[in-house]
Amino acid sequence: MKASAGTARSRVLARRETRSAYLFLLPSLIFFVGFVIVPMVMCVITSFFDSTMGKDTVDVFIGVQNYVELWKDSIFLRSLKNTFLIVIVSVPLTCIFSLWVASVIYNLRGPVLSTFRCIFYLPVVTGSVAVTVVWKWMFNNYYGIFNYVGKGLGLLDKNINWLGDERFALWCIILILLTTSVGQPIVLYVSALGNVDPSLVEAAEVDGANNFQAFWKIKWPSIMPTTLYILVITTINSFQCFALIQLLTSGGPNHSTDTVMYYIYYTAFKMYRYGYANAMGVVLAIFIAVLSAVQFKLAKEK
Amino acid sequence: MKRKKILALGLAMTMAMSLAACGNTADKETKAPETQASGESETAGAQNDETASADGESTSITLWTYPIGNWGNSETVDGLIASFNEAHPEIKVSVEYLDYTNGDDQVNTAIEGGQAPDLIMEGPERLVANWGAKGYMVDLTEFFEADSASDIHESAKAACQAADGAYYEYPLCMVAHCMAINERIFEEADALQYVDTENHTWTTENFFKAVQAIYDSGHQDVTAVYCNGQGGDQGTRALINNLYSSTFTNPEHTEYTVNTPENIKALEELAAQDGVNFDASLVGGDEITLFRNGTLAMSLCWNAAQQTNSEMGEAGKTINGDNIIPMLFPSDDGKTELCGGIWGFGIFNNGDDAKIAAAKTFIDFICNDETQVVESVKASTYFPAHQDLKGIYDGTEIADVMSTFSEYFMPSMGDYYQVVPGWATARTEWWNMLQRIGTGGDAATEVETFVTNANAAVTAEQ
Repeated sequence: MKASAGTARSRVLARRETRSAYLFLLPSLIFFVGFVIVPMVMCVITSFFDSTMGKDTVDVFIGVQNYVELWKDSIFLRSLKNTFLIVIVSVPLTCIFSLWVASVIYNLRGPVLSTFRCIFYLPVVTGSVAVTVVWKWMFNNYYGIFNYVGKGLGLLDKNINWLGDERFALWCIILILLTTSVGQPIVLYVSALGNVDPSLVEAAEVDGANNFQAFWKIKWPSIMPTTLYILVITTINSFQCFALIQLLTSGGPNHSTDTVMYYIYYTAFKMYRYGYANAMGVVLAIFIAVLSAVQFKLAKEK
Repeated sequence: MKRKKILALGLAMTMAMSLAACGNTADKETKAPETQASGESETAGAQNDETASADGESTSITLWTYPIGNWGNSETVDGLIASFNEAHPEIKVSVEYLDYTNGDDQVNTAIEGGQAPDLIMEGPERLVANWGAKGYMVDLTEFFEADSASDIHESAKAACQAADGAYYEYPLCMVAHCMAINERIFEEADALQYVDTENHTWTTENFFKAVQAIYDSGHQDVTAVYCNGQGGDQGTRALINNLYSSTFTNPEHTEYTVNTPENIKALEELAAQDGVNFDASLVGGDEITLFRNGTLAMSLCWNAAQQTNSEMGEAGKTINGDNIIPMLFPSDDGKTELCGGIWGFGIFNNGDDAKIAAAKTFIDFICNDETQVVESVKASTYFPAHQDLKGIYDGTEIADVMSTFSEYFMPSMGDYYQVVPGWATARTEWWNMLQRIGTGGDAATEVETFVTNANAAVTAEQ
């Protein structure tokens, strides 16, 4: 009798706790559903329509026509290629550079470590518009510091139009992206490396492991979850590169810096082709999801 | 199982709340016509005044304005609204300031979200050819039928009329966009001999001679055919169209006609000319900055407001103190056609007749009231759309400059072709075309690509 009363009471308590938990979750859930789930569903639905701006226009269902058109659109294909180039170059470089910096600074004394963390994190917390304006000055064709120094040192014969020349523009964007991307991974790696059990490293060293072996066999596996997180976040950010393009090159010259995100914006807000832009959004989301899944899978196997 | 039920309940609630939120908007939208019905649909501005005053109720309207001279300056606009409120205390006007980089996106987003402003100030390419053609604007024909519009410039009137015959803009001010040269740089390169500084004219031949002379003098960046975006693109269009007297569209504004031998010749010669940079990292605003700081010897993005602008130093001078001479674009036949800027007001049809009536009252006061219109136009730093309104800058410190522009530049204002269907696409195609030519693309091929794509947009919009 006592036992059944106790079970009933614990059930009531569990139910009450569950209810409280869901109530606490509810505000976030409302925002998540309203601003993420619903737009996502709308995006997918709209991608099957010829949808444009106009008071009296009616969205026409066209099936997968938008998706078929995408693969015939040379600008979209170029945007996709540029986006993949950014991801392929930027993600490994960001990870390697931030791991290197973190491994050098993580065991420094407190104030020195904090100073380095501040320096590398500064571009992250600074507004992207401010960062971009400064870079735009530095890359300026007429009075930019890169041309000034390059000519001063005899490296350049004449000014290079860094952002206005197809050969350089995308690489300039990747360089800026790197500076704004490494801050967070460095902070995360510093923290992860600091949490590696020192007794394991010491034991390995006693057993004769050199620095590289201690890192590769002990530290690297220990920080793998952090690496996975950094890889996924950096990949997503690189795929969604937009602000730099919008502020610096508008996709030019000759679409050489168009990314899928920028082309989505351009198609939707300049050309008013909402259905087509949404189809691009869906394709981009699929690419990001697949790549993230692969990264998870590989990291898990490791 | 129970957890799933609770989760499902939570999701259902969220959906219900979202739908309820949508429902409220729908209610507002459907209730508006009821309000209209009770208030009777008003048309003429004067009648609206009487109605609004008679029922003693205040109406709030929103005005979104692009930076047209000092119409982008809150202090100036607050003063204009204060004058309006002295005459019409029953109408409250709140203002939002747009810029040319993001303004269109803001307006488009607002339209799609059902939050379009009541009033907007800009030119026919947006109000008439874009939002008007898409059915979002109120027809303002009644304004043009009134006596107060009898002296509106014909070119301005024509630009405000859409293909369907409706007027979606009432013009306040206008200007002819021109170019400018740095007198010192020209003098040092002995290039002033190619310029008629008295009449502000030059021939195509002399233009190229001047560019070459300046380049040879060691000033390598003479001018920039800027093509990073659409900002200030009227300058590049005017230069190319005028060099060998060609056109951008047909006179009926139904087709893009850039693929003429004259335009192709102009592009080829510009691309081959030393000192002319096809620069894909600049827009018009950047080019003006480079001209003002003495980097470039010429600007293609100039007008009366730039000449009187003293934000970066003394008006009419570069930062270094060099004289700036405004110039007509060079032409081979001596007849330059300048691209015009015409600015005025349009009203978004948000389904609320009271707000539409209030917006019409505002336009009528700002653009037609004999005393007010002078201040309204002066705030723009351009010229009045009313032909009979003369000498508004007399006695001001910019009187001489405005007189020069009035005498030598305004008469050269050409066809306002920016109302062709597919204009948004054509503008984008234009700077992309310049980028391709600037990086070695064949002018004839690229111009043909432009015309094909731009005319496809015309067909799509018709």
